[in-house]
Amino acid sequence: MMNGIEISGKSTKQYIVVKIGSEQYGLDISYIDNIVRMQTITRVPKVQTYFKGIINLRGEVVPVMSIRLKMLLADDQFTDASRIIILKIEEQGTIGIIVDEVKEVVELAMDDIDRPAQKSKLDKNSFIFGVGKHGDELISLFDISAVVDEPDNA
Amino acid sequence: MDVSQYLEIFIDETNEHLQNLSDCIMVLEKEPDNKDTINEIFRAAHSLKGMAGTMGFKRMQHLTHDMENVFQEVRSDKISVNSRMIDLLFECLDALDKYLENVKETSNEGTEDNEAIIKELNDFIAQASGEAPAPAPEPAKEEKSDTAKDEDEREKKFLKVELDEVEKTAIKSAEDSGTRVYGFTVYIHQDCLLKAARAFLVFKAVEEFGEIIIYRPSSRDIEDEKFELDFTFFLASSEDLEKIIPGTLAVSEIDAVLAEEVKFADFNKKEETSVSAEAAPAPKEQEPAKKAAPAAANAGKKQAANKPVTSRTVRVDIEKLDALMNQVSELIIAKNSLVSISATEGGNFESQLFHEQIEYLERITTSLHESVMKVRMVPIESVVNKFPRMIRDLSRKLNKSMELYMSGEDTELDRTVVDQIGDPLQHLLRNSADHGLESSETRIQRGKPAKGSIYLNAFQEGNNVIIEVSDDGNGIDTDAVREKAIERGVITPDQADGMSQKEIINLLFMPSFSMAKKITDISGRGVGLDVVRSNIEALGGDVEVSSKLGEGSKFTVRLPLTLAIIQALMVEIRDEKYAIALGSIQNIEDIPVNEIRFVEAKEVIHLRGIVIPIIRLDKILEMEPLEKEPESLTVVVVKKGDNYAGLVVDNLIGQQEIVIKSLGKFIKANKIISGATILGDGEMALILDVNTLF
Repeated sequence: MMNGIEISGKSTKQYIVVKIGSEQYGLDISYIDNIVRMQTITRVPKVQTYFKGIINLRGEVVPVMSIRLKMLLADDQFTDASRIIILKIEEQGTIGIIVDEVKEVVELAMDDIDRPAQKSKLDKNSFIFGVGKHGDELISLFDISAVVDEPDNA
Repeated sequence: MDVSQYLEIFIDETNEHLQNLSDCIMVLEKEPDNKDTINEIFRAAHSLKGMAGTMGFKRMQHLTHDMENVFQEVRSDKISVNSRMIDLLFECLDALDKYLENVKETSNEGTEDNEAIIKELNDFIAQASGEAPAPAPEPAKEEKSDTAKDEDEREKKFLKVELDEVEKTAIKSAEDSGTRVYGFTVYIHQDCLLKAARAFLVFKAVEEFGEIIIYRPSSRDIEDEKFELDFTFFLASSEDLEKIIPGTLAVSEIDAVLAEEVKFADFNKKEETSVSAEAAPAPKEQEPAKKAAPAAANAGKKQAANKPVTSRTVRVDIEKLDALMNQVSELIIAKNSLVSISATEGGNFESQLFHEQIEYLERITTSLHESVMKVRMVPIESVVNKFPRMIRDLSRKLNKSMELYMSGEDTELDRTVVDQIGDPLQHLLRNSADHGLESSETRIQRGKPAKGSIYLNAFQEGNNVIIEVSDDGNGIDTDAVREKAIERGVITPDQADGMSQKEIINLLFMPSFSMAKKITDISGRGVGLDVVRSNIEALGGDVEVSSKLGEGSKFTVRLPLTLAIIQALMVEIRDEKYAIALGSIQNIEDIPVNEIRFVEAKEVIHLRGIVIPIIRLDKILEMEPLEKEPESLTVVVVKKGDNYAGLVVDNLIGQQEIVIKSLGKFIKANKIISGATILGDGEMALILDVNTLF
């Protein structure tokens, strides 16, 4: 059960489990293009504060966002475990988000996901659409569009 | 038939034909008796009709058909060209344009029947038939009549066909069995895309009446489209030729069908026959055509002589070119990284040969890049050739007499730029026509010719293309602009006093600043010049104005030749690298700190008589200031129009060919960062758009 690929008759979705601080978050695998190691990020002046800059992903320019800063957490500490998750979002293009660690891939059925009772806009919870239960663990599931959208046009 | 796959081609070609028509009608307006032009118009209208028919756009077909009818009358000198007719024809073009817009958007022509226009067209024809003794020809006959124009060049090739014994026997046996044998030579329209399909339709039409016994080229070659614009066949039939012909002419994109009965005996003395046939009057089914022909035939011939040899071109989807361009960009990045590796000191790349090969590679990639750029270049003609018509309409609407003079229409620009430059230029021209030129009375009073002149002049200058729109009108009245600006609260009277002529003229580019004293529907809604400027700036260009009161004004639009790859100067500020387009750099100076002066609390340097404001890039780019200011500053002097600015950088790295990459939609970068580029060592540098610093 722990390492995830659980086949069931119900409709299930795969999530990549990442760690940010002490919490576990899940990202819908269908948006994920790639996971790369930490690399040099070129700063871009005069942009939104949570944009760390851009990276060169095999010849493509990809903007990199700090999900920590966007969720108003402490700034990232880059370690060997830090990764940039490259998301490919239709129409808007590619974007990287920095996570502290990538753990595993899990499969969650709709039944395993609890929707939060109520969504408060200003809360960092507004980036998650539900909490997945996987074994004993709880995984906050990111609402990808809320993560990448600008607060002012979300 | 599913024709959706031809839709794009249809749209492209219809555009071309409409443009051609528009040009020709302009000419016709000036020279109503120009037979060449009339024929050209007829031909274009006819092609349009054929294409619309093929695509199943009945309304377009109907309208073009009626246009064609009018030209038929003009051609046969039954009616003469007058200004009412020219207006009507332009209305037709606009209506056709609307159909085309509908087709572009919905793949459907829409439901507008344009009955009013069609009725007026028919009135013209009715008028013609009232004046001329001959009744208006029937549509079917008219179709044939346009074969007349090229009749001189077209020949009955079936009379010259060399037949082998088997084929001769086939003709003979057909004759013996009492059926008649007709020779057919069919000319397909030169723009036809599906020649084989047209041929097939012709065969199908005639086979209702008999059996095709001989094909030239062979039926197989015809199927494979291995023929030019004509093919010949022999039909054995017991029907009259008159019954057979209409079916073949009903097939669209067929220009002409030449046919007559042949006898077996003819082929034994075919030399004489062919000569006499050419000299002989056209066979009877061609008679209505011949009537209209004499005047046209000569003109047609002349035109053919003028026509350039068909250029060998390929239509390519712009997306494919974009893909190619991207790959070239990748290649240049890879090349840059090889260059940077080879330049690394202490590497194992000392060998002479290696360096030679690297240089060779550089040359190749550069010329490859140039070639791809050239492929993407299109003449601005496609945009500017709409303007004479526009000015003509404006002239009527504004009741001012004016003329547009254009030069440099063949100047080439990147396709993407050309696609977007139309609107800004149109704005500028309208602006000149509406605000620039005075009314004829005023002009005469001022001792100018009554007819105003507007000039559109395009040329290449270095890495830029310059398009100038100028007029010999009133020029910009800076006092009026100043008053207006104060009145609107754009500037305060105090500010106004300190402003130079140039700065005042620049106020015109402020949003919602319109100088028109009365609002017309041509310009003057205040959405003109600021939109022009932002459109042009979005293309990486800029626009400037110069003006002399009473003598006219000139708008100069400067556009980059290419959008994707530029030559840039790489600079370093702290540990970050930035690229500045070489095109905007004037010179580079080392300035001792103690030479910096202050004007209005702003740093400037005085360089060879010019006062240049200093811009501290580190400050603008949100960097920590240096702890200790160095004794001298490296200043990159950039130029935009007549303005200069000195950018302070820490280090110069050198010149490099860079590929511009967008930062994507997520990052909301300041306008000063126009993109990023990947350097040879995989590092990235941001590209500074210095135009935003002014």
